[in-house]
This record gives sequence, structure tokens and C-alpha cells, in this order.
Amino acid sequence: MYPAIIDNYVRPKSVAEAVSALVEGGEDALFIAGGMSLMQAIKSRMVSPSCLVDLQEVSEIKGISANGDSVRIGAMTRYCEIAAASELLGANEALVDAASHVGDRQVRNRGTIGGSLCWNYIAACTPAACLGIGATVELVSAAGGQRTLAVDDFLGSPLETDRADDEIMTAVILPAPSANTGSAYKKWGLVADALPVVGVAVLVRIDQEEVCTHARVAFSGLGDGPCRSAAAEQTLIGAMASDNDSISKALEAAAAELEVQADMWADEAYRKLLIIELGREVAVTAFRRAGVHN
Amino acid sequence: MYKDVTITINGEEYHEHIPVRMLLVDFIRDVAGLTGTHVGCTYEGVCGACTIQVNGEAMKSCLMLAVQADGHKVSTVEGLAQNGKLHPLQEEFNEHHALQCGYCTPGILMNAEEFLKENPSPSEDDIREALIGNLCRCTGYVNIVAAIKSASEKMG
Repeated sequence: MYPAIIDNYVRPKSVAEAVSALVEGGEDALFIAGGMSLMQAIKSRMVSPSCLVDLQEVSEIKGISANGDSVRIGAMTRYCEIAAASELLGANEALVDAASHVGDRQVRNRGTIGGSLCWNYIAACTPAACLGIGATVELVSAAGGQRTLAVDDFLGSPLETDRADDEIMTAVILPAPSANTGSAYKKWGLVADALPVVGVAVLVRIDQEEVCTHARVAFSGLGDGPCRSAAAEQTLIGAMASDNDSISKALEAAAAELEVQADMWADEAYRKLLIIELGREVAVTAFRRAGVHN
Repeated sequence: MYKDVTITINGEEYHEHIPVRMLLVDFIRDVAGLTGTHVGCTYEGVCGACTIQVNGEAMKSCLMLAVQADGHKVSTVEGLAQNGKLHPLQEEFNEHHALQCGYCTPGILMNAEEFLKENPSPSEDDIREALIGNLCRCTGYVNIVAAIKSASEKMG
């Protein structure tokens, strides 16, 4: 398995240089971030880029910074950096859970959050975790325009996103952590840290009486890519954090609502079981991180 | 289609004119002639036999193009022993019979060397988790884990 001929390779030092290089590279030019997914595609010749624009020196899109209202994660921030980020504990911890278990430690030393979102692999964890948290993505175009959109609107069908051919993702923006909000993510696959057969992300916000006032529930590993369950979210809202019955009902509602596929890794019934059992564990963890005392 | 690169491997600079599509593992093996780094799978990059370090961080060289390493410092297994003295990991691998065919071994050593720098006192579970990206078909991992544990104690 070997790449097709690649005509050109450039290493821009800024966002402006990067989008300009992508446009100059022509319609078969591609960005390369960590390359943990893209190199598989290049080696198998699923893609044959004529030009690669390597983002490794675009330092303005690296790093995590928190201000009062939000947490900004540069698109070229690696999984290993996200896994170690104390700024992300509590409300945004689903992303830490996801990033800590992508692939293996060699992959986590290279792979990036921007790369994962822009590739949008069907089973991937990071898009589902971002969907669960309610992240926003920032895109900059070659013409210099900038837009932000909810990750729900950014992610399309598997391997498709709303990113235009002349756009670069610059950042993923998360809400500033609030004391009464918690999130978690866990996956199950056939071997340790394998791509998920099913992964569940849950975010909950609670009030003074420990009643859930806001919930997001997202899944990885399903046949149409990362998705949310409105039924699960609605069942959690209004439920007491300590009410295990409501938590179970919420995940059962998700299992009933969602399109669940059978494949060589699990049948439909097993995936539904995972949605319920794994989901319950994740929801309980999310409530605990939101500050529930039980 | 060709680029001039300068890649430092185990402290030695290689100035070469190479195809953009050349994989880093092939640069290491065929251009630099350092065949300790191995290729054990195809396009997936899951076996980890090609693991080396770039700027001290373990990475899979079959999932990188050599041009991505231009200007960087690569460490391979040939550079693990210093001045003729084996690294404690190498000593413990020998002591604990942690290799049979040895094909996966260089990748594990280069991964473990960084891992132990980050986790000087790992538990057995920590070590097993660190080895998720390195497949071994011979040993069943038991002696590999024991060797890494032992090396951590020796180095601690």
C-alpha cells in the first residue's frame, strides 16, 4: 500500500498562507494535520492529492485558551494535549475522555481535533464528543472571511462536512465550564481503545435541587455517523440527578429512537444494549461531574 | 514531486532529495539504511512496528511522509544504546525474554522509552495501555510488560 505520486508539498506558517496555498494547489490539494486518518487514505489511494498543505507550523491554531465565556481549542491541538488539559475538566470533560482513548499513544502524539472533525470518520469519537458538549467550530476562508457554526451543522454525512474547499478550520470553541455542568464520554469496541462499536457522550446541567435543566446525548459508532437522541435528552430534562429510573428510561428511549445497524462487530440487539448500559454509566458520570452528591 | 529535506536521525543529519510521497519509514530504512525500524502492516498503520520518535515523541513512521519530518530530529532503535551501553529497557528485554522473533521489538522500545519518561512508575495496567499501538504475535506480551516494569524500577 503506497501513496500515488504527490506533486507538491508546502508548509505555510500562518492561516492566511495556508488557505492561499490550498487554493493555489488546485482542486486536488489537501490540508494535512496529524495525518492519522489522511495518511491511511493516501496510502490506500482512497485519495490522491496533487498537493499537500502541511499545517504543522501554523502555530496560531495550536493550543488551548480559556477566557471568561468560553474555551478555545486551536484546530491543530493534538489529542495528547487535550487529554492533559485541566481547563476541560467538569463541563467539557467528555472531550478529555474521548481524546484520551483515540487509537493509541502514538496516534495521540500526532492526531488533532481539527483533523478529526474535518475528516468526520463514521465511527470516530471526537465528533460525537463535540456533539455531546455542544461545541462550535470556527472556519476561515481564502477570501479572509470567518464564520462560526454549531458542530451539529458542521458535521454532515460520514466523511462530509460543511467546510468549503477554500476554508480552514481554525478553532473549536466550547462553553466556559460552569459549576453545575458535567459531561462524559465512553466507548466500547472489540479490543481496548478500538474504534467504537458504540460510544456515548452525555452533558447535563443541574439546578440547586439537582434537577436536570439541560441535557445533550450523542452517539458514535452508528450507521449514519455521529448523532444525538432528542428522546433521551427530553427524558433527562426535569429528572432528578439521583433518579436512576429516569436515566435508564432516557437511554432506553435513545435505543428505541435511533437507527441502529447490525454489522460484523455487533448485531442490532447488542448495540441497543450498549446504548443503554454504556449510556447509563456515562450519564451517571456526567451528573457526578456536574456536582451531584450521591 | 521531489523535495530537498534535512532530517536528523540519531544525531546525524541526512540531506536528501526525495519524492514527496516517500514514507518516513522508507526514508529511515532505505535512504538512511537503518533497518531496525520495521513495516508490519499495510495502509492502516496499526501494528506499531514502525514506531520511532520525532523530537522525543513516539510516532508511527509508516503514517508519516518523510517531508513531514524535514527539519526535525528522529530517534530510532539504533540510537537507543549510548556509547556502547545498552538502555535499561534493552537490558530488561534481554533479561526477561521479552522478544522472540524481534519484529515488533524496536517499535515497542521506542514507544516505551518515551512512555517511561512521562510515567516513571507505571502500573502493569498503565504499561498494557501504553502498548495498545504495538502488536506482538509471538510473546503474548507478558514478558514485554514485565521487562518494561523492571526497566522502570531500574531507572526510577
